[in-house]
Amino acid sequence: MATVGIIANPASGKDIRRLVSYGTVFDNQEKVNIVRRILLGLAAVKVKRIVYMPDYYGIVPKAVDGLKSHDRLSMEIISADINLTGTQLDSYRAAQVMESCKVDCIITLGGDGTNRMVAKGCGSIPLLPVSTGTNNVFPSMVEGTVAGMAAGVVARGIVNHFPVVQPTKKLIVYKNGLPIDIALVDAVVLRDKFIGSRAIWEVNHLVQAVVSRGEPHNIGIASVAGYLKPIGVTDKEGLSIEFGRANYKVLAPIAPGLIVPVEIETFQKIRVNEKVKVKSTPCIIALDGEREVEVNEKDEAYIELTFDGPKVVDVKAALRAAVDGSHGSGMEELHKEFVLQE
Amino acid sequence: MEITKAELLSFYETMVTIRTFEEKAAELFAAGKLPGFVHLYIGEEAVATGVCANLTDKDYITSTHRGHGHLIAKGGRIDLMMAELFGKATGYCKGKGGSMHIADVNLGILGANGIVGAGQPIAAGAAFACKYKKTDAVAVCFFGDGASNRGTFHESLNMASIFKLPVIFVCENNMYGISNYQKNHMNVSDISDRAAAYGIPGVTVDGNDVVAVYEAAAEAVDRARKGDGPSLIECKTWRHRGHFEGDPCIYKDPKEQEAWLKKDPVLSLEKKLTELKFATVVELEEIKAAVKEKIDSAVLFAQNSPDPDPDDVLTDVYAS
Repeated sequence: MATVGIIANPASGKDIRRLVSYGTVFDNQEKVNIVRRILLGLAAVKVKRIVYMPDYYGIVPKAVDGLKSHDRLSMEIISADINLTGTQLDSYRAAQVMESCKVDCIITLGGDGTNRMVAKGCGSIPLLPVSTGTNNVFPSMVEGTVAGMAAGVVARGIVNHFPVVQPTKKLIVYKNGLPIDIALVDAVVLRDKFIGSRAIWEVNHLVQAVVSRGEPHNIGIASVAGYLKPIGVTDKEGLSIEFGRANYKVLAPIAPGLIVPVEIETFQKIRVNEKVKVKSTPCIIALDGEREVEVNEKDEAYIELTFDGPKVVDVKAALRAAVDGSHGSGMEELHKEFVLQE
Repeated sequence: MEITKAELLSFYETMVTIRTFEEKAAELFAAGKLPGFVHLYIGEEAVATGVCANLTDKDYITSTHRGHGHLIAKGGRIDLMMAELFGKATGYCKGKGGSMHIADVNLGILGANGIVGAGQPIAAGAAFACKYKKTDAVAVCFFGDGASNRGTFHESLNMASIFKLPVIFVCENNMYGISNYQKNHMNVSDISDRAAAYGIPGVTVDGNDVVAVYEAAAEAVDRARKGDGPSLIECKTWRHRGHFEGDPCIYKDPKEQEAWLKKDPVLSLEKKLTELKFATVVELEEIKAAVKEKIDSAVLFAQNSPDPDPDDVLTDVYAS
């Protein structure tokens, strides 16, 4: 039976960037509303089984509980069996459970940070990331209803994975020879000593960055790459940037509403599987916009670009493929089961 | 945000002072030497320390029934605090207030408060005064998760927002309103969500990480001083002990307690200080010993102080 996982991070969209910039406010009730619409989208394309990450707010149970009586869902909705910690580990562990029970697609609600944690545990299961975070390069602003429908057609095999499920890159952080963490979009070396409130907003703390992608329309450090040398999602290259002496200067939106000049000493493209040495220790490495990794003075750290990031559902392509039948047996199936219902 | 070695060591000393004061209060209460009730701040030290490190004597705070930590972090004298706990005439309230009413107006400490949520309008009022008098002082209101359900919270945030007052509402969310788990008494999980209803910024930080609290408070205080209005900071934290001393804590999940004890804010900071080589273990022990000496001295001062004179029972009760 086609199964879709839902990982809705209750903590996304609440960090200090609402004070230091103008970060989006996403209260958990709005996440409940989005999940409700996702569930209705999934139900419309006849997905019958959902596995969800439990959380301290109860986003998915509240979404189900608040449905109107005529929208009652005829699907099995199961909580993933994890011990809640109330931290980002919950997203990781929920993804591991979903990977082990072989769900067909995982819908995430969060920002880049949430998807980074899910990517660490989801293996090759396709993700459909719905943006509810702050710096959102990896997830898309997409209406929950169509996100649910798109996940459903992928999960049910109504469309082929190729080309509606796209591969992505990732960055692996090594410390003293061991891989210790990953980023999906950017790994940024900061001259900080503390993880503290996690976010990045002070450009004078930037030392170095490695990005897997970066376009001018991005927000966060990926936008810096976008203004220097844009790197697309599927380009087989990344960019290594060193900040400092202003050989180059770009005006970049490094956080919502925070558009600042960034001084760059040098930058260069890197190939897939190339490793970049972290040049200054001690330091903190921020992964996808959040300070995460402490590197001590005597540690040796590297950042490697790879092309084995999570697979991501292209919502528009998935629904278009389902309708026009240009890939797989889409149109016939979808029309029979959904569009042309009597 | 740059935080120097001196600043971090100062945070540590403040947190150790709060911890040691509270441990001594627990010991004295258990021995029957304190006449009133005490609600201890053990486990929440990073919040008061991180916030108050951004304040000066001209700034105001309002506190709660669990107020010792706020008072110490704002510069309150521990000898006068201890004397007040003992109910002695030398105490901050001349022995008539006890743990829950300590104030020091000269330091901007507008008082601990036994009424849940009562500090919020007082802080908003102090902030109004700062704005009216065109000073750049700010007011900080400490309160708990339960207090965010009170009408005073909503009225104060509304008024602070509409008047763009220089006030920072700091919610110490220790997950329990007395013995009532948060999810049983409110339908939001992050109290910072409530800021949106009043059009002000709301953020959630790790309340056991003094640097995280300091950074968020620094931004909120700066914003308030510049006339940009109020903010709400939710600090997720945990009280290690019961609501009050003597509370058997049967409502707490032992596994959750165990998990939070691993995130002890004082021990976490000790680890960070030694990792950064800002201090050796021996130097940290020396700080602890010096703090213990100060607390012991405060206890001695309190024990040797006179009881209030019965003839003074009505003194300071009414304004004259």
